Amino acid sequence: MAIALSARNIVKRYGATVALADASLDIHTGEVLALIGANGSGKSTLSKIMNGVVVRDGGQLRLDDHVVQFASPYAAKRMGISTVFQELSLVPQMTVAENIWLTHEPLKRGGLIDKQTLRRKTEELLALFAGTFSTKLEPDTPVGPLPPDEKQIIEILKAISVEPRVLILDEATASLDNRQVQRLFELVTQWKLQGQAIVFVSHRMDEIFQIGDRYSVLRNGTSVGEGVLSDRTRNDLVALMVQGATAANVVARTRPTAAELAAQNVQVDVMDLQAAGVHGVTFQLHAGELLGLGGLRGQGQHQLLLAMFGALPYTGRITIDRAPGHFTHPRQAMQRRLALVPGERASEGLLLRRSILENFLIPSWRDFGFPLRMGKARAVASNMARSLSLKMGGIDDPVSSLSGGNAQKVVIGKWLLRDPHVLMLDDPTKGIDVGAKAEFYKLLARLCDEGKSVLLYSSDDEELIGLCDRVLVMHDGKIRVELAGAALTKSHLVAASLGATQEELV
Amino acid sequence: MRQIRFPFVLWLFIVATLVNLFLQPDFLQPVTINSNLRVLLPLILVAVGQAIVILAGGIDISAGAIVSIVNAFLATRIGLNGDPGTATLMITLSLLAGMAVGAINGFFVASLRLQPIIMTYATSFLFGGLALLILPNPGGGMPSSFTKFYHDTMPLGVPLAFYVIALVMLAWYGLRQARYGRYLFAVGGKADAAFQTGVPVSLIQFSTYVISGLMAAFGGIALTLLTGSGNAQIGDSLTLSAITAVVIGGTALSGGTGGIGGAIIGAIVLGLFRNIVSFANIATWWQTFVNAAIIVLALAMPGLIRLLRRGNT
Repeated sequence: MAIALSARNIVKRYGATVALADASLDIHTGEVLALIGANGSGKSTLSKIMNGVVVRDGGQLRLDDHVVQFASPYAAKRMGISTVFQELSLVPQMTVAENIWLTHEPLKRGGLIDKQTLRRKTEELLALFAGTFSTKLEPDTPVGPLPPDEKQIIEILKAISVEPRVLILDEATASLDNRQVQRLFELVTQWKLQGQAIVFVSHRMDEIFQIGDRYSVLRNGTSVGEGVLSDRTRNDLVALMVQGATAANVVARTRPTAAELAAQNVQVDVMDLQAAGVHGVTFQLHAGELLGLGGLRGQGQHQLLLAMFGALPYTGRITIDRAPGHFTHPRQAMQRRLALVPGERASEGLLLRRSILENFLIPSWRDFGFPLRMGKARAVASNMARSLSLKMGGIDDPVSSLSGGNAQKVVIGKWLLRDPHVLMLDDPTKGIDVGAKAEFYKLLARLCDEGKSVLLYSSDDEELIGLCDRVLVMHDGKIRVELAGAALTKSHLVAASLGATQEELV
Repeated sequence: MRQIRFPFVLWLFIVATLVNLFLQPDFLQPVTINSNLRVLLPLILVAVGQAIVILAGGIDISAGAIVSIVNAFLATRIGLNGDPGTATLMITLSLLAGMAVGAINGFFVASLRLQPIIMTYATSFLFGGLALLILPNPGGGMPSSFTKFYHDTMPLGVPLAFYVIALVMLAWYGLRQARYGRYLFAVGGKADAAFQTGVPVSLIQFSTYVISGLMAAFGGIALTLLTGSGNAQIGDSLTLSAITAVVIGGTALSGGTGGIGGAIIGAIVLGLFRNIVSFANIATWWQTFVNAAIIVLALAMPGLIRLLRRGNT
């Protein structure tokens, strides 16, 4: 197979930080190359150098054995390199069709946009993912209000609409549910046969082994290994990524039995909760319990958490610590010692340009009097950073200087400072690397051991199985199945996600 | 997001028209419409240029000063006894000058990536100073035959301004149907995403300031034809009025949503407000206050409606 795109000894620095020290990569036509590495290892930077978004400081890019220099994303795109960006490159105010065809709109003679062709071609593209959308998706639907999975699909369609020779998928499956991922993989297989070269950047090992042909591992900006995936096991790759450390997918934690849990206080009792997207949910959360919420993406899990936190109007009864609570504003939920850690940490949970200290203390400044007792504030924030083993330059550094996993710890830390009894998490490990995840799991386990209740929604099945005491599988706004103990297996979880009932499973 | 509901600015337009009609029964006579529109045309043209800058996520505080430059230039170079030949040349030159000073703004904002609001505020003094250099004291002007032509020409019984507005709308429609229009919305909507997609972001931003300069020059020409005289500070008040017109017209200051049509109607609504205040026999010293109060209310209305709706649920 011919080498389509080759990167040799790429170097990229941002000030004193070296993002890429020595990265090399060969992408062959008709294959899927899995580019893997822990967060901060330089995967995204390397992708952005290959597609012209970032200009490299050293090294060489060769396309079909010619040295190339991309001055802009446009130049790379014209040479047939197209990217599905992790953070998406969609303009929220524009429609599906306008976004997909931006910069390569079909034109009529005279330079005007050919709307009929535009519409037809958009419908053809949307048909590739037909049946996996939860909303009605039309070419002239505005992109802004769409759920994350559908935005992700539009981003994918946008990248393939230029009929690229090299397609870079940077965490393209992070927001997708199972069905959508499988559809994408069918398509990738098809594109491979048509001779496209595909770079697949992902944290999900399952997917890497399912779709990848070869792999290339980055560690701290340096390429540390490449080869054929079928020769390798999951642990081999993880070992390469984290060097020495073994991956702990499952946290060693003595899980309380059903009887032990029942003996504990019921911390939260939810009765027939209804809200937009939630159609009657009833469950109990005990003190010290780690309760999982599973299911396909967009089955009401997000809305359930928002409603419980008072951020979404609802009907139904919520009892917290044996006293009724009806929240119309998150402030009231916070007073009752509830905390919600949002999933979109960049947009919902953090002020990226402000310091770690400030981010920790935003919800708790009132505890520090007037004028603010900064000495005490620094001590409190530093203690929290230590107990979370936050990897940072200093407490005054901006949050934007942290890696994804560490930034997520700041979001959790700021709520822990308010000493919540109930911690709700909305897909917190999305896009976090293996090492940071393991640490994060330990943190959750510790909180439960301290008697706090955790309600965890995750799109990562293994995480739910490895970590939770019980998992409630949601489907279409209802709890379809409850899995616990021996019944909590991956096959059950997947089957329940796809609509199997309790009776069919147990 | 596309606005599917009836645009707010049209409600304002209808209400303002009805009140005007009540105060001034001959309001819908072609002659009255003509006299209203010829006064408003300079503002409309400046607002159109401003709308394009704002759509792409910028702002042009210097537009009024560009109007002043053009007014000072035409008043001194054509003069009260100027002949049509000189006038044509000078008008052409003033359009080029408008684009040139617009390009200066574009260079600072798009190429050097400086804050548009600060940068064009600074250049507004630069341009205002230039206008004062050209015409230190009010004076000069245009032959009365020119102003008469601007005031009274109504081809086929329709005011001249209608034709100008129609031409502008036609040009805008063309832009919207071409890639340029898409680029404009993409840059204003989310510049990072547009850049990653391969949109020439800086070039688009640059071009919007050139367009704003050009439209301000057109506005300056119309204003000089309207007044027939020169005054180096004549354009100053147009900047904020134009921005107000754009915002009332439904274009978000954050960029990415809105359009030219809204800005034009917004400018007309501002003019109708002013009419109401002057026809309602409001004492002179109250006029500025009442006019401003109406504008504040009009700007706040969409937000107030949202607040009330939220309170009900």
